[in-house]
Amino acid sequence: MNDQTVTNRCACGWEISGTEDDVVDATIDHGRRIHNMGATRAQVLASLRGNGDGEGDARSAAEAEAG
Amino acid sequence: MTRSPVGWDVDSPVQAEVFVVWLDGDRIQLTGPDGPQSWILQLGPSEHPVEVVDRIVRDVVGPPILVHSTSWRRDRDAVILSFVVVIGPELVDGMASVPIDRAELARSQPTVAPADIAVGSVVEHGLRHLAWLVQDDPVVAAELPSGWRPVLAGYIPEPFRSLGQEAHR
Repeated sequence: MNDQTVTNRCACGWEISGTEDDVVDATIDHGRRIHNMGATRAQVLASLRGNGDGEGDARSAAEAEAG
Repeated sequence: MTRSPVGWDVDSPVQAEVFVVWLDGDRIQLTGPDGPQSWILQLGPSEHPVEVVDRIVRDVVGPPILVHSTSWRRDRDAVILSFVVVIGPELVDGMASVPIDRAELARSQPTVAPADIAVGSVVEHGLRHLAWLVQDDPVVAAELPSGWRPVLAGYIPEPFRSLGQEAHR
């Protein structure tokens, strides 16, 4: 389990902070409802980790999704 | 520990840009779920753009009065289809709005698209398109509440205004 707080911000201005799981779920929901996006957990995680501080970045999104 | 945001954005090759407008007295206002800014929707390869815009607007804002595609352009590494969506004032319900100011159109060369198109120009083009439709398209004329007609008249080039009025007598 990853306890660090992560933040994701949509280009439309919407922003979410929380645990990684919460942020991923909220991002998927925001993308689907507001922007008609069909993003997967792996895609959101890859996006979150693309600008991370390096910690945990070595894990692939697929690995992370698999737990 | 906090990781900084990286941004999340629509990145499909074809996208819809929705301008949600409503009539506030004699002023047209621009709004949307995130306020008066471009509302970008992803369009999948098998999805019909109008169906997607109608469905998402209906789910997020409420049933629209009109959904109409008014222009396209290249931007954001994609083809952007612009839509004007007219809603009733009862659906605004706290969404931030701004009055729409007039803007210059982005003019093309005879065979070349404009190099740069501002959002204000896209909205201006959309409202001029709507002004034409309300005179030419019986569905638009029937669906658009009567208060829109005099406001949209200002978006019709002056030499054509009387022609449109004649057509509806």
